[in-house]
Amino acid sequence: MHIPDAFIPIGQSVIYWIIALAFIILSLRWARKSMGEERVPLVAVLAAGVFAIQAMNVPIPWGTSGHMVGAALAAIVLGSPYAGVFVLTLVLLVQGVVFGDGGITTMGANIVNMGVVGGFVGYYGYAALQGIVRSPYAAAFAAGWASLFVSAILCAGELAVAGTFPLGFGLVSMGLYHAVIGVIEGGITAVALYLISSARPDILEHPQVVSG
Amino acid sequence: MIDDLYLIEKHAYRSSIVHLMDARVKLLIVLAFIVAIVAVPYSVRVIELGAIFFAFFAGLWCCSRLSPLIYARRLVLILPFGIFLILFQIFFKNRYYDIFHPIATLPFGIEVYAESAEFASILFVKFIVSVSFIILISSTTRMQDLLDASRRLGLPQEFVLPLGMMIRYLFVFAEMIGKVRCALDTRCFDPFDRHLPYRYRLRQVGYTIGMIFIRSYEQGERTYTSMLCRGYGENARAHLVKKPLRPREVSFFAGTLIFIAVATAVVYLHP
Repeated sequence: MHIPDAFIPIGQSVIYWIIALAFIILSLRWARKSMGEERVPLVAVLAAGVFAIQAMNVPIPWGTSGHMVGAALAAIVLGSPYAGVFVLTLVLLVQGVVFGDGGITTMGANIVNMGVVGGFVGYYGYAALQGIVRSPYAAAFAAGWASLFVSAILCAGELAVAGTFPLGFGLVSMGLYHAVIGVIEGGITAVALYLISSARPDILEHPQVVSG
Repeated sequence: MIDDLYLIEKHAYRSSIVHLMDARVKLLIVLAFIVAIVAVPYSVRVIELGAIFFAFFAGLWCCSRLSPLIYARRLVLILPFGIFLILFQIFFKNRYYDIFHPIATLPFGIEVYAESAEFASILFVKFIVSVSFIILISSTTRMQDLLDASRRLGLPQEFVLPLGMMIRYLFVFAEMIGKVRCALDTRCFDPFDRHLPYRYRLRQVGYTIGMIFIRSYEQGERTYTSMLCRGYGENARAHLVKKPLRPREVSFFAGTLIFIAVATAVVYLHP
Protein backbone atom coordinates (compact mmCIF):
# COMPACT_ATOMS: atom_id res chain seq x y z
CA MET A 1 0.00 0.00 0.00
CA HIS A 2 3.05 2.28 0.14
CA ILE A 3 2.81 4.28 -3.10
CA PRO A 4 6.33 4.83 -4.52
CA ASP A 5 7.54 8.04 -6.18
CA ALA A 6 6.48 8.61 -9.80
CA PHE A 7 3.10 6.90 -9.51
CA ILE A 8 1.29 10.13 -8.69
CA PRO A 9 1.95 13.31 -10.73
CA ILE A 10 3.58 16.11 -8.79
CA GLY A 11 0.49 18.38 -8.82
CA GLN A 12 -1.67 15.72 -7.20
CA SER A 13 1.11 14.81 -4.77
CA VAL A 14 1.10 18.42 -3.56
CA ILE A 15 -2.64 18.20 -2.87
CA TYR A 16 -2.19 14.99 -0.83
CA TRP A 17 0.71 16.61 1.02
CA ILE A 18 -1.50 19.60 1.92
CA ILE A 19 -4.23 17.28 3.24
CA ALA A 20 -1.65 15.22 5.14
CA LEU A 21 -0.03 18.36 6.60
CA ALA A 22 -3.43 19.58 7.84
CA PHE A 23 -3.89 16.31 9.73
CA ILE A 24 -0.27 16.29 10.92
CA ILE A 25 -0.78 19.78 12.39
CA LEU A 26 -3.99 18.57 14.08
CA SER A 27 -2.17 15.53 15.42
CA LEU A 28 0.61 17.77 16.76
CA ARG A 29 -2.04 19.92 18.42
CA TRP A 30 -3.54 16.75 19.91
CA ALA A 31 -0.07 15.68 21.04
CA ARG A 32 0.50 19.03 22.76
CA LYS A 33 -2.91 19.11 24.46
CA SER A 34 -3.61 15.49 25.29
CA MET A 35 -0.35 13.63 25.36
CA GLY A 36 1.42 15.57 28.06
CA GLU A 37 5.18 15.50 28.46
CA GLU A 38 5.13 11.99 29.93
CA ARG A 39 3.46 10.50 26.88
CA VAL A 40 5.84 11.93 24.27
CA PRO A 41 8.54 9.32 24.95
CA LEU A 42 5.87 6.64 25.17
CA VAL A 43 4.38 7.48 21.79
CA ALA A 44 7.83 7.78 20.23
CA VAL A 45 8.90 4.37 21.45
CA LEU A 46 5.51 3.04 20.43
CA ALA A 47 6.17 4.30 16.90
CA ALA A 48 9.37 2.25 16.87
CA GLY A 49 7.29 -0.69 18.13
CA VAL A 50 4.76 -0.25 15.30
CA PHE A 51 7.68 -0.12 12.86
CA ALA A 52 8.93 -3.43 14.29
CA ILE A 53 5.43 -4.92 14.18
CA GLN A 54 5.26 -4.06 10.48
CA ALA A 55 8.35 -6.24 10.02
CA MET A 56 6.46 -9.30 11.30
CA ASN A 57 5.11 -11.22 8.33
CA VAL A 58 1.90 -13.09 8.95
CA PRO A 59 0.54 -15.89 6.73
CA ILE A 60 -2.60 -15.32 4.69
CA PRO A 61 -4.93 -18.31 4.15
CA TRP A 62 -4.29 -18.56 0.38
CA GLY A 63 -0.55 -18.98 0.80
CA THR A 64 1.00 -15.53 0.62
CA SER A 65 1.90 -13.26 3.52
CA GLY A 66 1.27 -9.73 4.71
CA HIS A 67 1.90 -7.47 7.64
CA MET A 68 -0.26 -5.18 9.68
CA VAL A 69 -0.18 -1.37 9.43
CA GLY A 70 -0.97 -0.64 13.08
CA ALA A 71 -2.79 2.70 12.78
CA ALA A 72 -6.05 1.27 14.15
CA LEU A 73 -4.26 -0.41 17.07
CA ALA A 74 -2.36 2.78 17.97
CA ALA A 75 -5.52 4.89 17.70
CA ILE A 76 -7.60 2.48 19.83
CA VAL A 77 -4.95 1.99 22.51
CA LEU A 78 -4.00 5.68 22.75
CA GLY A 79 -7.63 6.76 22.58
CA SER A 80 -7.53 9.14 19.64
CA PRO A 81 -7.50 8.89 15.83
CA TYR A 82 -4.77 11.53 15.85
CA ALA A 83 -2.52 9.04 17.65
CA GLY A 84 -2.74 6.89 14.52
CA VAL A 85 -1.82 9.89 12.36
CA PHE A 86 1.07 10.88 14.63
CA VAL A 87 2.56 7.40 14.96
CA LEU A 88 2.14 6.50 11.28
CA THR A 89 3.66 9.83 10.16
CA LEU A 90 6.82 9.01 12.12
CA VAL A 91 6.89 5.47 10.76
CA LEU A 92 6.28 6.50 7.13
CA LEU A 93 8.91 9.24 7.36
CA VAL A 94 11.61 6.76 8.36
CA GLN A 95 10.37 4.11 5.91
CA GLY A 96 10.40 6.58 3.02
CA VAL A 97 13.71 8.36 3.68
CA VAL A 98 15.78 5.45 4.97
CA PHE A 99 14.29 2.30 3.47
CA GLY A 100 12.76 3.55 0.23
CA ASP A 101 9.43 1.98 1.20
CA GLY A 102 6.99 4.56 -0.12
CA GLY A 103 8.05 7.68 -1.97
CA ILE A 104 9.01 11.17 -0.86
CA THR A 105 6.62 13.05 -3.15
CA THR A 106 3.91 10.45 -2.47
CA MET A 107 4.44 10.44 1.29
CA GLY A 108 1.51 12.82 1.70
CA ALA A 109 -0.78 10.31 -0.01
CA ASN A 110 0.65 7.47 2.07
CA ILE A 111 0.10 9.41 5.30
CA VAL A 112 -3.49 10.15 4.23
CA ASN A 113 -4.14 6.49 3.33
CA MET A 114 -2.51 4.72 6.24
CA GLY A 115 -2.30 7.31 9.00
CA VAL A 116 -5.40 9.44 8.55
CA VAL A 117 -7.83 6.87 7.10
CA GLY A 118 -6.32 4.01 9.09
CA GLY A 119 -6.46 5.99 12.34
CA PHE A 120 -9.90 7.53 11.85
CA VAL A 121 -11.65 4.44 10.44
CA GLY A 122 -9.96 2.28 13.07
CA TYR A 123 -10.83 4.53 16.00
CA TYR A 124 -14.37 5.58 15.06
CA GLY A 125 -15.18 2.15 13.62
CA TYR A 126 -14.17 0.63 16.94
CA ALA A 127 -16.18 3.19 18.94
CA ALA A 128 -19.28 2.76 16.76
CA LEU A 129 -19.16 -1.03 16.56
CA GLN A 130 -18.70 -1.51 20.30
CA GLY A 131 -22.28 -0.44 20.91
CA ILE A 132 -23.55 -2.81 18.25
CA VAL A 133 -21.57 -6.03 18.69
CA ARG A 134 -21.06 -5.65 22.47
CA SER A 135 -17.66 -7.26 22.29
CA PRO A 136 -14.63 -4.96 22.28
CA TYR A 137 -12.53 -7.57 20.51
CA ALA A 138 -15.07 -8.21 17.75
CA ALA A 139 -15.31 -4.43 17.35
CA ALA A 140 -11.51 -4.17 17.22
CA PHE A 141 -11.37 -6.94 14.61
CA ALA A 142 -13.96 -5.23 12.40
CA ALA A 143 -12.39 -1.79 12.90
CA GLY A 144 -8.91 -3.11 12.08
CA TRP A 145 -10.21 -4.87 8.98
CA ALA A 146 -12.16 -1.80 7.84
CA SER A 147 -9.19 0.53 8.43
CA LEU A 148 -7.04 -1.47 6.03
CA PHE A 149 -9.78 -2.12 3.47
CA VAL A 150 -10.85 1.53 3.22
CA SER A 151 -7.20 2.62 3.00
CA ALA A 152 -6.63 0.19 0.13
CA ILE A 153 -9.73 1.37 -1.72
CA LEU A 154 -8.60 4.98 -1.32
CA CYS A 155 -5.13 4.03 -2.56
CA ALA A 156 -6.68 2.41 -5.67
CA GLY A 157 -8.71 5.58 -6.21
CA GLU A 158 -5.64 7.79 -5.96
CA LEU A 159 -3.73 5.70 -8.49
CA ALA A 160 -6.73 5.82 -10.82
CA VAL A 161 -6.96 9.61 -10.52
CA ALA A 162 -3.22 9.73 -11.22
CA GLY A 163 -3.80 7.66 -14.36
CA THR A 164 -1.24 5.04 -13.38
CA PHE A 165 -3.65 2.19 -12.63
CA PRO A 166 -7.19 1.60 -13.96
CA LEU A 167 -9.95 2.13 -11.41
CA GLY A 168 -11.90 -1.08 -11.98
CA PHE A 169 -8.92 -3.40 -11.86
CA GLY A 170 -7.39 -1.44 -9.00
CA LEU A 171 -10.57 -1.61 -6.92
CA VAL A 172 -11.01 -5.33 -7.54
CA SER A 173 -7.37 -6.35 -7.03
CA MET A 174 -6.58 -4.00 -4.15
CA GLY A 175 -10.04 -4.54 -2.62
CA LEU A 176 -9.87 -8.35 -2.80
CA TYR A 177 -6.27 -8.57 -1.66
CA HIS A 178 -6.76 -6.22 1.26
CA ALA A 179 -10.12 -7.73 2.18
CA VAL A 180 -8.12 -10.91 2.87
CA ILE A 181 -5.06 -9.20 4.29
CA GLY A 182 -7.42 -7.13 6.47
CA VAL A 183 -8.14 -10.33 8.38
CA ILE A 184 -4.58 -10.05 9.67
CA GLU A 185 -5.00 -6.39 10.60
CA GLY A 186 -8.32 -7.09 12.30
CA GLY A 187 -7.29 -10.37 13.93
CA ILE A 188 -4.07 -9.04 15.33
CA THR A 189 -5.65 -5.76 16.44
CA ALA A 190 -8.20 -7.80 18.42
CA VAL A 191 -5.66 -10.27 19.85
CA ALA A 192 -3.18 -7.52 20.74
CA LEU A 193 -5.96 -5.49 22.38
CA TYR A 194 -7.00 -8.55 24.39
CA LEU A 195 -3.42 -9.11 25.51
CA ILE A 196 -2.89 -5.46 26.44
CA SER A 197 -6.18 -5.22 28.34
CA SER A 198 -5.28 -8.41 30.23
CA ALA A 199 -1.62 -7.70 30.95
CA ARG A 200 -1.49 -3.90 31.16
CA PRO A 201 -5.01 -2.41 31.28
CA ASP A 202 -3.51 0.86 32.55
CA ILE A 203 -1.91 1.41 29.15
CA LEU A 204 -5.29 1.76 27.48
CA GLU A 205 -6.55 5.31 27.29
CA HIS A 206 -10.14 4.13 27.98
CA PRO A 207 -9.73 0.74 29.73
CA GLN A 208 -13.34 0.66 30.89
CA VAL A 209 -14.46 0.64 27.27
CA VAL A 210 -12.56 -2.57 26.61
CA SER A 211 -13.45 -4.34 29.82
CA GLY A 212 -17.08 -3.25 29.59
CA MET B 1 13.04 -4.31 6.40
CA ILE B 2 14.08 -3.85 9.99
CA ASP B 3 16.66 -6.64 9.51
CA ASP B 4 18.66 -4.33 7.23
CA LEU B 5 18.77 -1.52 9.75
CA TYR B 6 22.20 -2.37 11.15
CA LEU B 7 23.64 -2.96 7.70
CA ILE B 8 22.40 0.39 6.36
CA GLU B 9 23.74 2.22 9.39
CA LYS B 10 27.04 0.35 9.13
CA HIS B 11 27.48 1.66 5.59
CA ALA B 12 26.58 5.16 6.77
CA TYR B 13 29.39 5.05 9.33
CA ARG B 14 32.07 4.71 6.65
CA SER B 15 34.17 7.65 5.55
CA SER B 16 34.30 9.26 2.12
CA ILE B 17 33.82 12.64 0.53
CA VAL B 18 30.09 11.88 0.22
CA HIS B 19 29.79 10.57 3.77
CA LEU B 20 31.49 13.70 5.12
CA MET B 21 29.29 16.10 3.16
CA ASP B 22 26.80 18.05 5.29
CA ALA B 23 23.57 16.06 5.64
CA ARG B 24 21.48 19.15 4.78
CA VAL B 25 23.17 19.43 1.40
CA LYS B 26 22.66 15.73 0.69
CA LEU B 27 19.04 15.81 1.84
CA LEU B 28 18.16 18.84 -0.29
CA ILE B 29 20.00 17.51 -3.34
CA VAL B 30 18.22 14.15 -3.09
CA LEU B 31 14.87 15.91 -2.72
CA ALA B 32 15.67 18.11 -5.71
CA PHE B 33 16.51 15.13 -7.94
CA ILE B 34 13.39 13.21 -6.86
CA VAL B 35 11.08 16.19 -7.30
CA ALA B 36 12.66 17.00 -10.68
CA ILE B 37 12.29 13.48 -12.09
CA VAL B 38 8.75 13.14 -10.73
CA ALA B 39 7.73 16.60 -11.92
CA VAL B 40 8.65 16.10 -15.57
CA PRO B 41 5.60 14.99 -17.58
CA TYR B 42 5.21 11.35 -18.62
CA SER B 43 7.03 11.25 -21.97
CA VAL B 44 9.95 9.32 -23.48
CA ARG B 45 12.23 12.23 -22.67
CA VAL B 46 12.07 11.06 -19.06
CA ILE B 47 14.30 8.16 -20.11
CA GLU B 48 16.97 10.55 -21.40
CA LEU B 49 16.76 12.76 -18.33
CA GLY B 50 16.71 9.70 -16.07
CA ALA B 51 19.94 8.48 -17.67
CA ILE B 52 21.62 11.84 -16.97
CA PHE B 53 20.40 11.87 -13.36
CA PHE B 54 21.45 8.26 -12.91
CA ALA B 55 24.94 9.07 -14.21
CA PHE B 56 25.16 11.82 -11.57
CA PHE B 57 24.01 9.34 -8.92
CA ALA B 58 26.58 6.78 -10.15
CA GLY B 59 29.33 9.40 -9.84
CA LEU B 60 28.33 10.17 -6.25
CA TRP B 61 28.10 6.45 -5.48
CA CYS B 62 31.66 5.95 -6.79
CA CYS B 63 32.84 8.84 -4.62
CA SER B 64 31.19 7.20 -1.59
CA ARG B 65 33.57 4.23 -2.03
CA LEU B 66 30.69 1.82 -1.41
CA SER B 67 30.54 -1.36 -3.45
CA PRO B 68 28.04 -1.49 -6.34
CA LEU B 69 26.89 -4.76 -4.78
CA ILE B 70 25.59 -2.84 -1.77
CA TYR B 71 23.52 -0.69 -4.12
CA ALA B 72 22.33 -3.77 -6.04
CA ARG B 73 21.35 -5.59 -2.86
CA ARG B 74 19.36 -2.67 -1.53
CA LEU B 75 17.76 -2.05 -4.90
CA VAL B 76 16.59 -5.68 -5.05
CA LEU B 77 14.94 -5.23 -1.65
CA ILE B 78 13.17 -2.03 -2.71
CA LEU B 79 12.15 -3.10 -6.24
CA PRO B 80 9.13 -5.20 -5.21
CA PHE B 81 7.52 -2.04 -3.76
CA GLY B 82 6.99 -0.68 -7.25
CA ILE B 83 7.87 -3.24 -9.86
CA PHE B 84 4.53 -5.06 -9.87
CA LEU B 85 2.63 -1.83 -10.44
CA ILE B 86 5.01 -1.11 -13.32
CA LEU B 87 4.74 -4.57 -14.89
CA PHE B 88 0.94 -4.46 -14.89
CA GLN B 89 1.03 -1.24 -16.92
CA ILE B 90 1.77 -3.07 -20.18
CA PHE B 91 -1.70 -4.65 -20.16
CA PHE B 92 -3.67 -1.45 -19.64
CA LYS B 93 -4.54 1.58 -21.71
CA ASN B 94 -3.93 4.85 -19.93
CA ARG B 95 -4.93 8.46 -20.37
CA TYR B 96 -1.48 9.61 -21.45
CA TYR B 97 -1.80 8.22 -24.98
CA ASP B 98 -4.56 8.62 -27.56
CA ILE B 99 -3.90 5.56 -29.71
CA PHE B 100 -2.77 2.11 -28.56
CA HIS B 101 -1.15 -0.49 -30.82
CA PRO B 102 -1.24 -4.13 -29.64
CA ILE B 103 2.15 -5.83 -29.95
CA ALA B 104 1.18 -9.18 -28.45
CA THR B 105 -1.99 -11.05 -27.64
CA LEU B 106 -2.02 -13.39 -24.66
CA PRO B 107 -4.59 -16.05 -23.70
CA PHE B 108 -8.04 -14.80 -22.57
CA GLY B 109 -7.74 -11.92 -25.02
CA ILE B 110 -5.23 -10.01 -22.91
CA GLU B 111 -3.27 -7.60 -25.11
CA VAL B 112 0.08 -5.93 -24.60
CA TYR B 113 0.25 -2.42 -26.05
CA ALA B 114 3.36 -0.70 -27.37
CA GLU B 115 2.35 2.60 -25.78
CA SER B 116 1.64 0.94 -22.43
CA ALA B 117 5.06 -0.73 -22.51
CA GLU B 118 6.58 2.68 -23.20
CA PHE B 119 4.63 4.16 -20.28
CA ALA B 120 5.82 1.32 -18.04
CA SER B 121 9.43 2.05 -18.99
CA ILE B 122 8.92 5.76 -18.19
CA LEU B 123 7.54 4.84 -14.75
CA PHE B 124 10.42 2.42 -14.28
CA VAL B 125 13.02 5.10 -15.01
CA LYS B 126 11.36 7.58 -12.64
CA PHE B 127 11.10 4.90 -9.95
CA ILE B 128 14.71 3.73 -10.29
CA VAL B 129 16.13 7.27 -10.21
CA SER B 130 14.06 8.12 -7.12
CA VAL B 131 14.98 5.02 -5.13
CA SER B 132 18.63 5.25 -6.17
CA PHE B 133 18.95 8.66 -4.55
CA ILE B 134 17.16 7.35 -1.45
CA ILE B 135 19.65 4.47 -1.29
CA LEU B 136 22.49 6.97 -1.69
CA ILE B 137 21.44 9.24 1.16
CA SER B 138 20.56 6.43 3.57
CA SER B 139 23.80 4.57 2.81
CA THR B 140 26.01 7.61 3.30
CA THR B 141 24.25 9.50 6.11
CA ARG B 142 23.73 8.36 9.68
CA MET B 143 20.15 8.50 10.91
CA GLN B 144 21.09 10.91 13.69
CA ASP B 145 22.75 13.21 11.13
CA LEU B 146 19.60 13.09 9.00
CA LEU B 147 17.55 14.10 12.02
CA ASP B 148 19.95 16.94 12.89
CA ALA B 149 19.85 18.10 9.27
CA SER B 150 16.04 18.08 9.35
CA ARG B 151 16.13 20.13 12.56
CA ARG B 152 18.50 22.66 11.01
CA LEU B 153 16.16 22.85 8.02
CA GLY B 154 13.18 23.63 10.27
CA LEU B 155 11.53 20.36 11.32
CA PRO B 156 8.88 21.28 13.93
CA GLN B 157 10.11 20.93 17.51
CA GLU B 158 7.16 18.66 18.35
CA PHE B 159 8.50 16.12 15.90
CA VAL B 160 12.15 16.34 16.86
CA LEU B 161 12.05 14.51 20.19
CA PRO B 162 9.66 11.70 19.18
CA LEU B 163 11.47 11.15 15.87
CA GLY B 164 14.88 11.13 17.54
CA MET B 165 13.72 8.67 20.15
CA MET B 166 11.98 6.54 17.57
CA ILE B 167 15.17 6.27 15.52
CA ARG B 168 17.14 5.31 18.63
CA TYR B 169 14.66 2.64 19.62
CA LEU B 170 14.40 1.19 16.15
CA PHE B 171 17.70 -0.50 16.87
CA VAL B 172 16.40 -1.83 20.18
CA PHE B 173 13.39 -3.29 18.42
CA ALA B 174 15.42 -4.70 15.58
CA GLU B 175 17.24 -6.71 18.22
CA MET B 176 14.00 -7.56 19.98
CA ILE B 177 12.47 -8.87 16.75
CA GLY B 178 15.53 -11.06 16.28
CA LYS B 179 15.12 -12.47 19.80
CA VAL B 180 11.38 -13.02 19.30
CA ARG B 181 12.04 -14.91 16.07
CA CYS B 182 14.72 -16.94 17.84
CA ALA B 183 12.29 -17.78 20.67
CA LEU B 184 9.63 -18.86 18.16
CA ASP B 185 12.17 -21.02 16.33
CA THR B 186 13.28 -22.60 19.61
CA ARG B 187 9.68 -23.64 20.22
CA CYS B 188 9.50 -25.00 16.66
CA PHE B 189 6.70 -22.57 15.88
CA ASP B 190 6.47 -21.59 12.25
CA PRO B 191 3.62 -19.21 11.40
CA PHE B 192 3.73 -20.56 7.85
CA ASP B 193 3.37 -24.22 8.91
CA ARG B 194 0.15 -25.36 7.26
CA HIS B 195 -0.11 -28.36 9.57
CA LEU B 196 -1.12 -25.98 12.35
CA PRO B 197 -4.65 -24.55 12.45
CA TYR B 198 -4.76 -21.07 10.95
CA ARG B 199 -6.57 -19.58 13.96
CA TYR B 200 -3.87 -20.95 16.27
CA ARG B 201 -1.09 -19.45 14.12
CA LEU B 202 -2.89 -16.09 13.97
CA ARG B 203 -3.43 -16.10 17.74
CA GLN B 204 0.23 -16.84 18.46
CA VAL B 205 1.43 -14.12 16.09
CA GLY B 206 -1.16 -11.77 17.60
CA TYR B 207 0.16 -12.46 21.10
CA THR B 208 3.71 -11.88 19.90
CA ILE B 209 2.77 -8.56 18.35
CA GLY B 210 0.78 -7.57 21.44
CA MET B 211 3.82 -8.46 23.54
CA ILE B 212 6.07 -6.27 21.35
CA PHE B 213 3.51 -3.50 21.74
CA ILE B 214 3.55 -3.84 25.55
CA ARG B 215 7.33 -4.11 25.64
CA SER B 216 7.65 -0.98 23.53
CA TYR B 217 5.29 0.85 25.85
CA GLU B 218 7.16 -0.32 28.95
CA GLN B 219 10.42 0.70 27.32
CA GLY B 220 8.85 4.11 26.77
CA GLU B 221 7.97 4.32 30.47
CA ARG B 222 11.51 3.43 31.51
CA THR B 223 12.87 5.95 29.03
CA TYR B 224 10.59 8.65 30.42
CA THR B 225 11.72 7.93 33.99
CA SER B 226 15.38 8.09 33.01
CA MET B 227 14.75 11.30 31.08
CA LEU B 228 13.11 12.82 34.15
CA CYS B 229 16.26 11.95 36.11
CA ARG B 230 18.26 13.92 33.55
CA GLY B 231 16.07 16.98 33.90
CA TYR B 232 13.56 16.45 31.11
CA GLY B 233 10.47 18.62 31.35
CA GLU B 234 7.75 20.23 29.30
CA ASN B 235 10.03 22.94 27.98
CA ALA B 236 13.09 20.74 27.50
CA ARG B 237 14.82 21.17 24.13
CA ALA B 238 17.56 18.95 22.77
CA HIS B 239 20.69 21.00 22.15
CA LEU B 240 21.85 21.38 18.58
CA VAL B 241 25.22 22.85 17.75
CA LYS B 242 25.18 25.54 15.08
CA LYS B 243 26.89 24.31 11.98
CA PRO B 244 27.30 26.74 9.10
CA LEU B 245 27.80 25.24 5.66
CA ARG B 246 31.33 25.35 4.25
CA PRO B 247 31.85 27.33 1.04
CA ARG B 248 32.58 24.18 -0.98
CA GLU B 249 29.33 22.60 0.27
CA VAL B 250 27.39 25.70 -0.76
CA SER B 251 29.13 25.64 -4.15
CA PHE B 252 28.36 21.94 -4.63
CA PHE B 253 24.74 22.48 -3.65
CA ALA B 254 24.30 25.45 -5.97
CA GLY B 255 26.13 23.67 -8.79
CA THR B 256 23.92 20.60 -8.46
CA LEU B 257 20.73 22.65 -8.53
CA ILE B 258 21.97 24.42 -11.66
CA PHE B 259 22.86 21.02 -13.16
CA ILE B 260 19.35 19.70 -12.49
CA ALA B 261 17.72 22.80 -13.99
CA VAL B 262 19.98 22.88 -17.04
CA ALA B 263 19.72 19.13 -17.70
CA THR B 264 15.94 19.27 -17.48
CA ALA B 265 15.74 22.33 -19.74
CA VAL B 266 18.15 20.92 -22.33
CA VAL B 267 16.35 17.57 -22.54
CA TYR B 268 12.94 19.21 -22.91
CA LEU B 269 13.85 22.09 -25.18
CA HIS B 270 15.93 19.91 -27.48
CA PRO B 271 13.86 19.36 -30.66
